Amino acid sequence: MLETNVDQKSFKFKIVLLGEGCVGKSSLVLRFVENKFSCKHLSTIQASFQNKTVNVEDCQADLHIWDTAGQEKYHALGPIYYRGSNGVLLVFDITDRKSFEKVKNWVLEIKTCLGNTAEILIVGNKIDLEEERQVTRQDAEAYAESEGALYMETSAQDNVGISDAFESLTAKMIEHSRTRSTEPPSTNRSIRLIDNDEAERSKKCCR
Amino acid sequence: MSDKHGEEDKKAKMHLKANDLLCVNGCGFYGTPQWENRCSKCWRAHQNEMKKCQDFAKNRSLLSFDQFQERRKSTTESKSRGIKNLFKTSPIPEGGTSSPTSTSPASTPTRRRELSPDSLEARQQFTDFLVANLSTGMAQEIARSVKNAVNKISEMRMSSDDMSELVMSYYQYLGERIGGHSLFDSPDCKVKVEDVMDQVEKYISTFCYSIFFCANHEEEVADMSLQDRIRSLHWVTAGFLETKMVFKKQTVRDKIDEAISELIEINAKRSAFEKLDCLTKSCKAIFEALKESEASTSADEFLPTLIYVLFRGNPPLIQSNVKFISRFAIPARLMSGEAAYFFTNLSCALEFARNMNHESLQMEKSEFEAYTSGHLAPPLSVINSACNQAIYVLEGTIETITNVAKKAGSLAKNLTNMHGKSDDDLEKMLAVIKETVDFYPTDEYMNMKQSIFAEEKETADILVSLSRQSSESGRGTLTDTQPSTPQPDTSLESPLIAEIQAINLTSSGNQEHVEEA
Repeated sequence: MLETNVDQKSFKFKIVLLGEGCVGKSSLVLRFVENKFSCKHLSTIQASFQNKTVNVEDCQADLHIWDTAGQEKYHALGPIYYRGSNGVLLVFDITDRKSFEKVKNWVLEIKTCLGNTAEILIVGNKIDLEEERQVTRQDAEAYAESEGALYMETSAQDNVGISDAFESLTAKMIEHSRTRSTEPPSTNRSIRLIDNDEAERSKKCCR
Repeated sequence: MSDKHGEEDKKAKMHLKANDLLCVNGCGFYGTPQWENRCSKCWRAHQNEMKKCQDFAKNRSLLSFDQFQERRKSTTESKSRGIKNLFKTSPIPEGGTSSPTSTSPASTPTRRRELSPDSLEARQQFTDFLVANLSTGMAQEIARSVKNAVNKISEMRMSSDDMSELVMSYYQYLGERIGGHSLFDSPDCKVKVEDVMDQVEKYISTFCYSIFFCANHEEEVADMSLQDRIRSLHWVTAGFLETKMVFKKQTVRDKIDEAISELIEINAKRSAFEKLDCLTKSCKAIFEALKESEASTSADEFLPTLIYVLFRGNPPLIQSNVKFISRFAIPARLMSGEAAYFFTNLSCALEFARNMNHESLQMEKSEFEAYTSGHLAPPLSVINSACNQAIYVLEGTIETITNVAKKAGSLAKNLTNMHGKSDDDLEKMLAVIKETVDFYPTDEYMNMKQSIFAEEKETADILVSLSRQSSESGRGTLTDTQPSTPQPDTSLESPLIAEIQAINLTSSGNQEHVEEA
């Protein structure tokens, strides 16, 4: 079993982006997948759902990246999005302290719902606006470490740190997938649909 | 005394004979009216006979029931035989020898009566897919397994969630079993395991739709309740969802209408795949509308617009459809991929609709309740509101009429110009014709020219004679000198006459030709 997992070279992961509105989640995805950044691009390319195949550590991973609505009124809908996801990417704006506080709320909530089944990456975006920074790198790194999550800083406008962020998260998810492989539990109920089939086969043999 | 007694005796004899008191069977004993004038012995025998008759009737009814079961078995066998024949008539040759089984002519009408058109179509597609893409052995095995599963599902009576778990387990079992087959590893294989499972899912969900969908009365009540709630919250579409739709644009309104239509269409489909396909089309229409509005296509804009479409359309049985998809679709379809993302967003929109309150819209509670109960009408938003759609349509109409008026004026102007050009062209054409005719004269033209020349000559002669007469009558002495001079005058006159004639011919010829033209 372990040997099979170690040899596995192809993965499929669901990544959910969470964060307040206007922190740049969509620009981040667009830059990573399409390498484009502008208001015009955001209105011509569908940014909500994106596919991308990346190669990390000699493995190939198909990433399904889900964007979510960040407005406060839709906060309660988060669990519907990140249920069953392999990775969660929490984005905040380094020039907006409030968005960082919201990320903390998300971390607590995700840990409550998903436990340790999903890997968390915290991203501080808009580092091109360094002079307006309100959240220091040290504070963010310390918080991420205390929560067992990764921390990266990016700029969608200048295309800084984005590939690294997604690849780091992917590497973590691959490691997680190899460490914990769950066997599909065999359900007794399925026998009720298959039992007759076996009986028919045995009958056929008798014939 | 003795006489009276004798009279009474006579009466008794007349009314009640001795035979009347005896048992009706004539056994010699006296009977009782409560036993139908039978003695106790005969009465017991009579009761036994009655019981036997009843038992016989009961047995007969039981025999009828057995016959019914026999009919049902034969029907099932004929169905099975029909399916097998479909495979045996396939063009793919079988490895072993087999004799085709003849199907009774009654089996086809029986099957058609039992199956709905949708089920028939689904089975035909399923059979065609298996025969076209897989080996005969594997096709038969899969078909038998799936058919058996469908029959089992039809016989079971359990809750929807238990049924869902059962079907999910079957998908997993069948997927693993098919996936393990070496057939799919060869490059000759045209289809994947996922494609086969898609067909299996479609077959099962279509055949068992009446069992799977909205089986619970409570679910229907919940759907009606949600529909009422959405109807009472219709005022939210008047700009409170903060969408970035530009409703002034006709293309945006068309796309939103298309999204609403596809959302309502979900209820008309039977398989989970087709339902998800309608949802995908609806969501893509929303993205088109966002593009037309030049708004961001991020989730920050997409979810509010999907909620708006849900409120505008208020599709029937939407919760039951969502539950059907989540219960009986192949799990992989709902965990990843574009359709899964759209499905998750629809679930979010429904959750938002169910739990909407004044805090969701960030307004006063009293205001929220006033709008919901209808006591207060929502204010018309100037920038973005579908409530202004009638006004937009009217504005569009006015604009259209204005354009038509402008085009009419432009048309009139063009007509005037065309008339002017037409006249100029006519003049030019006539000039060209004249030039051409002079350069290349026709026979008719030459004859005409000669006749004109002759006429001119006669006219000249007449004029000459007239001039002579006038000179003779006017001057006596000059008359003598005149006869000597005519000869040189004639030689002088001839070129003049020729010139005059030429000019006259030219002008008259042109005139006549113009008349002809």
